[in-house]
Amino acid sequence: MTAPTETQQLMSVRAGVLPGALEKAKAARDRRTYLLLLLPAILGLFATFLLPLGYMVKMSFDRGAPDGVIESAFTLDSYVRALSDPYYWQVIWNTFQMGIIVGVLCVLVSYPIALFLVRTRSRFRGLLMAVAVAPLLTSAIVRTYGWMVILGSNGLVNSSLHSMGLIDAPLKLTNNMTGVEIGLVEIFMPYAILTMVSGFGRLSSQLEEAAGSLGANGFQVFARITLPLSLPGVLASFLMVFVLTISTFVTPTLLGGGTVQVLATEIYDQTTGVLNWPFAAALSVILLALFGAIIAVYQRLTRKIGG
Amino acid sequence: MTVLPQLAPLRKVNPVNSANTVGSSKLSIVDLTKRYAPGLEPAVDRLCMDVEEGHLVALLGPSGCGKTTTLRMVAGLMDPTAGSIVVDGKDITQTPVNKRGMGMVFQSYALFPHMDVAQNVAFGLQMRKVPSGEQAKRVNAALEMVKLAHLSKRKVRELSGGQQQRIALARALVVEPTLLLLDEPLSNLDAKLRETMRSEIRSIQQRTKATTLFVTHDQDEALDMADRIAVMNGGLIEQYDTPAMVYERPTTRFVADFIGQANFLTAQVLSENGQAADGERYYKVEVGGLGRYSAVGAPGLAGSSREIVIRPHRLRASLHPRPGDDAIAGTIERVSYTGDTIAFAVRVGDRRLLAQSMTSSADMPRTGDAAYLSWEAADAFLLPGHIRGSGT
Amino acid sequence: MGFYTKYRTAATALAAASVLALSACGGGSTPQAGSSTSGEVNIIAYASVWQDQYTAAVIKPFEAKFPNIKVNYVAKRSSADMLSALQGQKSKPNTDVAIMDQSVSQSGNQQGLFAKIDQSTVPNLANVPDKFKDKNGYGPVDMLDAIGLVYDTKTFPTPPSSWNALWDKSNCGKVNVVAPPSLLGLSLTAITSNMQGEDYTKSIDKGVAKLKQLAPCIQTFSPQPDEYQNVITGQTVLGLGQNARGQFYADQTGKKIGVAFPKEGTAYQINTINLIKNAPHSAAANTFINYALSAEAQEAFAKDLFYAPSVSNAVLPADVKSRVVPTDGSLKILPLDVDFMASIRDKWTQTWKQEIIPAK
Repeated sequence: MTAPTETQQLMSVRAGVLPGALEKAKAARDRRTYLLLLLPAILGLFATFLLPLGYMVKMSFDRGAPDGVIESAFTLDSYVRALSDPYYWQVIWNTFQMGIIVGVLCVLVSYPIALFLVRTRSRFRGLLMAVAVAPLLTSAIVRTYGWMVILGSNGLVNSSLHSMGLIDAPLKLTNNMTGVEIGLVEIFMPYAILTMVSGFGRLSSQLEEAAGSLGANGFQVFARITLPLSLPGVLASFLMVFVLTISTFVTPTLLGGGTVQVLATEIYDQTTGVLNWPFAAALSVILLALFGAIIAVYQRLTRKIGG
Repeated sequence: MTVLPQLAPLRKVNPVNSANTVGSSKLSIVDLTKRYAPGLEPAVDRLCMDVEEGHLVALLGPSGCGKTTTLRMVAGLMDPTAGSIVVDGKDITQTPVNKRGMGMVFQSYALFPHMDVAQNVAFGLQMRKVPSGEQAKRVNAALEMVKLAHLSKRKVRELSGGQQQRIALARALVVEPTLLLLDEPLSNLDAKLRETMRSEIRSIQQRTKATTLFVTHDQDEALDMADRIAVMNGGLIEQYDTPAMVYERPTTRFVADFIGQANFLTAQVLSENGQAADGERYYKVEVGGLGRYSAVGAPGLAGSSREIVIRPHRLRASLHPRPGDDAIAGTIERVSYTGDTIAFAVRVGDRRLLAQSMTSSADMPRTGDAAYLSWEAADAFLLPGHIRGSGT
Repeated sequence: MGFYTKYRTAATALAAASVLALSACGGGSTPQAGSSTSGEVNIIAYASVWQDQYTAAVIKPFEAKFPNIKVNYVAKRSSADMLSALQGQKSKPNTDVAIMDQSVSQSGNQQGLFAKIDQSTVPNLANVPDKFKDKNGYGPVDMLDAIGLVYDTKTFPTPPSSWNALWDKSNCGKVNVVAPPSLLGLSLTAITSNMQGEDYTKSIDKGVAKLKQLAPCIQTFSPQPDEYQNVITGQTVLGLGQNARGQFYADQTGKKIGVAFPKEGTAYQINTINLIKNAPHSAAANTFINYALSAEAQEAFAKDLFYAPSVSNAVLPADVKSRVVPTDGSLKILPLDVDFMASIRDKWTQTWKQEIIPAK
C-alpha cells in the first residue's frame, strides 16, 4: 500500500529517460495523424470560407462600373477611393467605435451573469444556462423588431419614463446609434455569456477560498483573484462581441433608421443598391483588416495575461 | 491525557464540558454539527474534540465520513448547523474565514495561477499589510523552509506536483497561522513522492510547532504523521487517540477494520485469567466451534460475548504447532509473497483468516498444506464494545 | 410651367430615340432549348406580396393553359439579389426567366446574362409599344409602377396633392422617406430638384438644400419593416411609397392607408421580363414570356397588384385604371432613364449620407 508499485516505478523511469529520437518519431507520427484527422475540416474550410474569401479579395481589385458591370482588372481604384474619402474614414471610425462601445457594455452586463452561472451550485443551473442563451433561439431580426417597439417614441421605455414624470418629450432611442447600441448589447449578450462561461476555466471556488483563508475580504478576493482569472474569458468575450458587432448589418439597418453608417451597411448598400461590387469587396477587405488588427491586439493582451 | 481512550464512551470522545479543558487546548470543537439540508442525516454529528498546542491531529476516515466538512467548518469556509469552535479560548464560530488567521493547504493546492511563486507566498502577508521589506524576508524564509527559494520567480504551472505542494505549505505557514489545516494534501502526489512529503511536512510542522489539523483517508499517512488520530465514520468520531493505541487497541470493529488488516473472531468470555499490562486483564475465551483460547481486554468482560481482534502479523502460520501455544488448525488456501513479508490465507472451518510473517522462516507452509495458526494472548484483543445485535 | 413642357418634350425625344434605336437593331434569335409546350420554367422574381399576387394572377392561369409546363418560382428580396444569383450561375444557368427592376436588368444585359427576345417566338412582343421595348432587343418592360406619397387616411381626409406635404411642419417627426440607393429616395431627389427649378441632370444643389430642411422632420430614412406598415401602424402619417403596393395595402386595411401621385409629377418604377442566356428551358420560357405579355395576364396582374400593363391591347376596367400609374401621358413623369440613374446613383447616395441625413 505504501511502497510504489513496480508498474509505477517503471512508468516514472520510462517517462524520464525516453530517448530523444524515439520521442521525435512518435511526435512525427502524431502530427501525421492529426493532419489526417484535420483534413476534412481543412477542405471544408477551404471550400466554404477561404475560396469565397479569395474570390472577394480578387474582386476588390477589379474595376467596378456604376451600372453593375465588373471589369476584370488589377486596380487599386476601390481602395484609393475608400481610403482617400474622409467619409469612409468616418464610416470606419463609426464601425470601430460601435464595436468598442457595444463590446464593453455587453461584457459589463454579461459578466455578473456569467460569473453567477459558473459559480452557482443550484440544481437549476442547467435551466438557468438555457435561459441565458435562449434568446439565440429567436433571430436577431425578431429581437431587433422587439427593441424597435420597446425603444420607440411611444415604446415601453419612453412611456414608462413619461408616466413617472422623468421626461417631458420622448427620448430619441431609435433611428440612431444609441438604439443600435442598446439593441446590439442585448442581442450579443448570449454570445458574451457563453464565451465567458467557457473562458472562466481557471476560476475555481478553491482559489477564492484559499484567498479568503489567507485573509482577503470579499472585495479583495474579487479584485485579486476572481477578476484577474476571469480576464481571459472577458477578453475573448469582448473580442467575440466586437467582431460580431462590426460585421452585423441587420440591427444597424433596422434600428439605425438610415442614420447609422457603418462598414456593414455601406457594403450592403454598395452590393444591393449601387451594384458596385468591387468597391463593396474593397470595403469588406478593410473590415477584415479591422478584424485582423483587433485580433492582433487581443493576442498581445492574452499573452500578457496568460504570461 | 491520562484517561485510557479505548475506555471512553463511543459517541463522545473527550467531550469539552468544563472550563479547564478549554484553557489547556489550542482548539476545542464542541458539539459541532453540520446538516446540509433539514431532514438529511447530519454530515457531522455533535462532534467534540480537543487539539493540544503543537500537535498534528489527523482526521481519518472513508470518504463521506465528515472529515473534510469538519475541517471546512474549522477553517470558516462552511457554517456549522450547531456547535462551536474555540481557538485559544475564544469562540470563533461566527468569525469570517478571512479573520480567522488560519493557514490552509487544499487538496488541489489552490495556488493562484496568475501569480508567481513568491507572489503566492506573499499573498497572505499583503492581506495583513505587512511592510514589503519584511514581506520579502518572510517569503524567502518560508521558501527556504520548503527548500524552494530558487524557484521564487517561477510560474505556478511550471512546477511539479511536489513543488506546488511545498509552495502551498509555505504560503499557509508564512502568515504564522493559529492553526494549519491540511485537506488531503498528499492525495495528488505519486506514491514515492507522497512518502517523502510525509516526513517533510511532519518535520516542518514539528519545527514550526504549528498546531495542525490534517484530513486524510490514508491510514498509513495518519499513523506515520499524527500525534493523535480521530477515526471518523458517519459523522462521528469512533476513536480519538495516539496512532499506537488506535492500531493496537481499537475501540470498535470499524476502527480495527479501517486501520490495517484484522482478523475477527467472535468469542464468549469465560473467566478472568490474571493481570495484564496497563490495567488490562487476561481472559479465557471460547471461540465458537474452535476451542478455548486466551485473550486480553479491559476489566469486567467475563461472562459477555465479545469480538477478538488479531492483526495478521501477530498470527503465526506454521506446519507444526509450538508446544504449549494456543493454536488453530486450518488449510493454507493461498500464499502471497511480497518480498519482505509473506501472507497466508488460511481456511478454518467456514472462516478465512489472514496471517503474515517475515520470509526468513524455515517452517514455511505452502498452498494446500495443513497448518497451524498460533498467537500470544497479549495479541488477541477483546473489543470493548458489545457485538452489534447481541444482547449482552 | 415652362419646365414641365420642356421635360415632356425631353421625354418624347427620348422615347423617339429608343424607337429609332430599336428599328436599327434586328435582334438575333437564339436556338431554343426544350419543348415550348411541356417541361418546366424556372423563374426568379420578387418575394412576399409580389410573389403571391403574381402567382395567382399569372402563373396559375398559365399552368392551367399549359398543363404540361410546371413553373418553379425562386423568390428574392431585391433585384440585386436576383442579379447576384444569376451571376453565380452564369456558366451553367438553371434559371430561365427573371422579372426585375429595369436598372438592374440593364446591368444584366450589359454583363451578357440575358438573351434577346424575338417576336417570332414571343408574338405578344408586337403589342409592347416601342417605348417599352429594349432598344437592343433584350427583355421588354413587363409592368410599370410609380413613386407616390403614402398617407394615413385619417390625417389626410383628402389625399395630399403636392410633394410639399412632406415639408409641412404639422407632419414633422411623422414622416418617412427611403434614402438612396433606394429608387424611392433617388426619385425624390430628382423630383425635389425639379420642383426647385433645377435641371437635375446637371445639378441637384437646390434640391439637396431643400431636402436638408426636410431631414430633421424625418423619423427614419430606412422604414422597417417597410414604408407601408409604418403608415398602417400609425407610426408615421406620410411617406414615400410605390403606388402598386400602396393601393394593394389600402384594400387590405380597409383604406387605412392611401397613396397619391402629387401634381408635380413622379418617376416610374419599371420591371422588365428577361430571358436568361443559355436558359435550360428556353422554349418553354418563351411560351411563358409570351403569356406574361398577353393582355389577359397583364390585366389580371393590374387588377391584383395595380401595376400598369406594358402592352397596348390590355384594357382595364375604370376602377382599376384609375388606380394604376397612367402611361398615357396624363401624369407628368420625370424621365429617369437607366443610364442616367446608373451615372448618378452612387453620387446621390453619398450626397444623402454625407449631407442630407446628417442634417437630421
